[in-house]
Amino acid sequence: MANHSQLGFQDASSPIMEELVEFHDHALMVALAICSLVLYLLTLMLMEKLSSNTVDAQEVELIWTILPAIVLVLLALPSLQILYMMDEIDEPDLTLKAIGHQWYWTYEYTDFKDLSFDSYMTPTTDLPLGHFRLLEVDHRIVIPMESPIRVIITADDVLHSWAVPALGVKTDAIPGRLNQTSFITTRPGVFYGQCSEICGANHSYMPIVVESTPLKHFEAWSSLLSS
Amino acid sequence: MRFASFLPIPTYLAGQRAWSGNTVSMSSALLPKPQMRRLLARRMKFHLFGAFLVSLGCAALYKFGVAEPRKRAYAEFYKNYDPMKDFEAMRAAGVFESAPPK
Repeated sequence: MANHSQLGFQDASSPIMEELVEFHDHALMVALAICSLVLYLLTLMLMEKLSSNTVDAQEVELIWTILPAIVLVLLALPSLQILYMMDEIDEPDLTLKAIGHQWYWTYEYTDFKDLSFDSYMTPTTDLPLGHFRLLEVDHRIVIPMESPIRVIITADDVLHSWAVPALGVKTDAIPGRLNQTSFITTRPGVFYGQCSEICGANHSYMPIVVESTPLKHFEAWSSLLSS
Repeated sequence: MRFASFLPIPTYLAGQRAWSGNTVSMSSALLPKPQMRRLLARRMKFHLFGAFLVSLGCAALYKFGVAEPRKRAYAEFYKNYDPMKDFEAMRAAGVFESAPPK
């Protein structure tokens, strides 16, 4: 989860999120270059060092058309590469369904066993010491680590969005529609997310918690829950 | 006197003092004619070049100050990473609800 004064992304815990962090660095570098150029020229103009009565400037017009086009290509190429990478869904080991309601999530594991449960936010008054306010839930999703997971997301009433920033996942939950996303967790841990589409009074109070554990522990957990 | 070069001074006056007390001389060196055209164009070319240098410098600073260290940090973290060891440490700390401490 994020710290209080955090400006950047959370540490990436999936390969796609690592790519996204790297792309963000690239895009921010380009933005910084353009902003510093504009700031330098603006400062010169304000100090009246660049006044001119030029009315025709064909050469500079050509330069400031071609250069931005090149910059846009430099941004678009890695962006499209990651976009297509996100759409590759390679033989997932597990399919999980996430259904958004006002104001909780329902998760269904129906691959091997018929397992289904609701996930409500833990109220602050019931929060154990050391747990995170407005982020903890009563029943967490557990998934095996280092395995491709497919999540099918829908909603029961209004629009919601299933998002876990550390895994680079955000997919809208739309009533009457099934949206698919996938991810692989590169390491074990607990990853937090929050509903990311305004859905009513308690939109901020329906978090998502994903526990990534070794396969052995995932199997033990799912057997325990389905028995 | 500077203006002596413009006046048709007769040669018999060369070397004699004028009434103001200044010496009239034909041998003073002429100043080179200063550049009087394309001054703005020169300044604009200089500053445009400077602006691109500043812009590339900022980009390079970010790339080698932030982006490359971040890539190296991720590579270092995963070079000798043991997920099971990490899991056991987190489990012992009571982080997981599905895998309570032993």
